Amino acid sequence: MASPALRITGLAAGYPDAGRVLEGVDLSIETGESVALMGRNGMGKTTLLRAIMGWIRPQAGRVDFAGRNVTGWQPFALSHAGIAYVPQGREIFKDFSVEDNLRLGLIGKKHLPQRVPDLVYQRFPVLAQRRAQKAGTLSGGEQQQLAIARAIVGRPRLLLLDEPSEGIQPSIVHALGEAVTAIAREEGMSVLLVEQNLDLVLALTTRCLFMENGRIVAEGETRHMRKDSELLERYLSV
Amino acid sequence: MTQVLILTLDAANFMLALLLVTLGLVIIFGLMNVINMAHGELFLLGAYSVVLVERAGGSYWLALLAAPALLALIGLLIEELVVRHVYHRFIDTILATWGLSLVIKQAVIIAFGPTAQQVSNPLPQPVEILGAVYPAFRLFIMAVSVGVAAGIFFLFYRSRLGLAARAVIANRPMASTLGINTRRMDRMTFALGAALAGLAGAVMAPLMSVDPQMGVGFLIPAFLSILVGGTGSLLGALLGTTLIAGSSSVVSSIWTQIVAQMVVFGLAIVVIRLFPQGLTGARR
Repeated sequence: MASPALRITGLAAGYPDAGRVLEGVDLSIETGESVALMGRNGMGKTTLLRAIMGWIRPQAGRVDFAGRNVTGWQPFALSHAGIAYVPQGREIFKDFSVEDNLRLGLIGKKHLPQRVPDLVYQRFPVLAQRRAQKAGTLSGGEQQQLAIARAIVGRPRLLLLDEPSEGIQPSIVHALGEAVTAIAREEGMSVLLVEQNLDLVLALTTRCLFMENGRIVAEGETRHMRKDSELLERYLSV
Repeated sequence: MTQVLILTLDAANFMLALLLVTLGLVIIFGLMNVINMAHGELFLLGAYSVVLVERAGGSYWLALLAAPALLALIGLLIEELVVRHVYHRFIDTILATWGLSLVIKQAVIIAFGPTAQQVSNPLPQPVEILGAVYPAFRLFIMAVSVGVAAGIFFLFYRSRLGLAARAVIANRPMASTLGINTRRMDRMTFALGAALAGLAGAVMAPLMSVDPQMGVGFLIPAFLSILVGGTGSLLGALLGTTLIAGSSSVVSSIWTQIVAQMVVFGLAIVVIRLFPQGLTGARR
């Protein structure tokens, strides 16, 4: 059997001034699978994504990606290996044009043609209209689409998404969910989604992981979540 | 009239040589958040490369090519051996590069002695422009500086490499996340900054007294230019050097070097008081 896209074992990480946040995370995502990571605020979801992407160095444990041990790799090396990350707050280059933001998604991928493919503009038509505009002038929803498009032009094998629905109108959240689902299906891309918005989780993922105090404590199939709300109740309600 | 023309040319001359030094400082600071206190000594090494090449029997023109190449190499070495280890400690980068500047200066004194070295003027004959008689070599310096500065601006604002560099400046972790090799970018940046300082040293060598103190004379106005112009963009460096070099040249031609220094510092203080982020910083 092929190795899973992402396998994390006993991962511990934290910040110099806030102590340890992840207390030994174990999880595994198959190729082409989309998984939601849920839990209350401060349980370590964002920290986990940051640790996977190399923004913070793991203190213990191991990260394997596509059969390779990538523990402690720098972000650019992980990006070359095929992981893309859309962080909370989107982190687009506000002073650069929409087109330049998308070009930056390709610039580190020497094996890809450096022209932004038309397909991206077809998937996110609003970006085509705003191509020459400064990214900082876009609305929140447009900026989120730009951030996701920028991650996807690099043809990642695994996409890490942190709260893409934050501060965005429901209609756009729905469209985002559809776009990412379509891309994931066509490209065989895996997705790890950190999200509070249940609609997006239902639209995009097939499995839910629940995180509490720096560990994965429960999991379930997404399609059962609407009926069986016990897990949601236990790990999400304040 | 010719008096004004010569003064303008002198000011432009100083400004353009200073611009080479300042651009290197700004790029290194912008990309790596390192204040390179050894930048003046890289300028110094550029000038001494000329001395070295001429002693070995090479021509000035060969030295002009050798100096930036040698300094690029030295820049790579400094980045790898010193700067790389103190990136995340801002104050330590200042201390480390300052220490490095002392080491370089003393090494130069050991190798060449504390006295000034002579570098021959490769274009001794003057030319006449618009009725004013002006040294040909100074015109040559200006041409080189304009060409190199234009090349840097083009590289930075029009090339893919420049886009990647600006992305690293704007948001380093995100640039790295998109696959931009920030390690290689740091190496290239430092090498480029060092090469620019080396080139500036080499072009100024025939005009200045080549001695171990000449670096400081360029580092201070370069820092002032950055403070006045703003650290955010290369445009700030251009604006800052124009203001600092212009005022310094004009005042020193009317009164003395000392008055010029006082006026320049006074001007810098006023500008920084009015625009704490520098002239280009306020618009960001």
